[in-house]
Amino acid sequence: MRCIIMGKATPDTEAGIMPTQEEMDEMGAFMGEMAKAGVLLDGAGLKPSSKSVRVTFDEAGKPTVTDGPFTETKELIAGYVIVEVKSLEEAVDWARRMPGKGARSADIRPFFEAEDFAYLQQQS
Amino acid sequence: MRCLMMVQGVEENAGMPTRAAFERMEAFNAEMEKAGVLLELTGLKPSSQGARVSFDETGRPTVTDGPFGETKELIGGFWIIEVQSLAEAVEWARRVPQGEGLPRRIEVRPYFEAEDFAYLQQQGSSAGTPNGIAEAQFDRLTASVKV
Repeated sequence: MRCIIMGKATPDTEAGIMPTQEEMDEMGAFMGEMAKAGVLLDGAGLKPSSKSVRVTFDEAGKPTVTDGPFTETKELIAGYVIVEVKSLEEAVDWARRMPGKGARSADIRPFFEAEDFAYLQQQS
Repeated sequence: MRCLMMVQGVEENAGMPTRAAFERMEAFNAEMEKAGVLLELTGLKPSSQGARVSFDETGRPTVTDGPFGETKELIGGFWIIEVQSLAEAVEWARRVPQGEGLPRRIEVRPYFEAEDFAYLQQQGSSAGTPNGIAEAQFDRLTASVKV
């Protein structure tokens, strides 16, 4: 199964504070370990929400574009890795070891896979 | 530049999409693919099937099982796209199909690219960046999602 591990934004990431060489090396080593274990599919860091945009649709489907930053959410993410694992627990074990400093959190969410959509074949 | 286009504002308990909703989304996905901008896409299972790891100030992790309450903010799926500009990404986001069971909000987040980490070369060591390592994995990722 595939899971995305989403690292939540922190005041530092939102302020655009970039990692030090040491922090980068630590993250690089961790990702290298995941790659070596054959679980790493992709990973990236995202620019702060101040460099981002939201498109919100009203009831009629009309889009409104809003420039960041977005301050009202606890759900803002700062980066992610996508892993191929045997179980949610295995993904959680990797997430527990994610380098970083201070209070922070990561959400682990499994992907829908092709078989989850098999029911569509019974609808016409 | 790469952007993550995240789906938000879908009621988590709404159930699986109807065939009609699914087909409208598939047509949109096909159009992005044809335009050469689509790198990856997926839907995420409801947060009830996920978990959260929270680290305290000392770095000690605590694991919490889903579901997570903030349903309107939760991410329901995403596209990874390669575009010329943020404006181009926004144009795609504005065209995401609307209607029952389809996402009401799209957050467009640009990636850090290699040049954003150029400052690190002045600090010594040239160990690969996380994104650099990910690059090497990327073919494998895109291969794995082609069904």
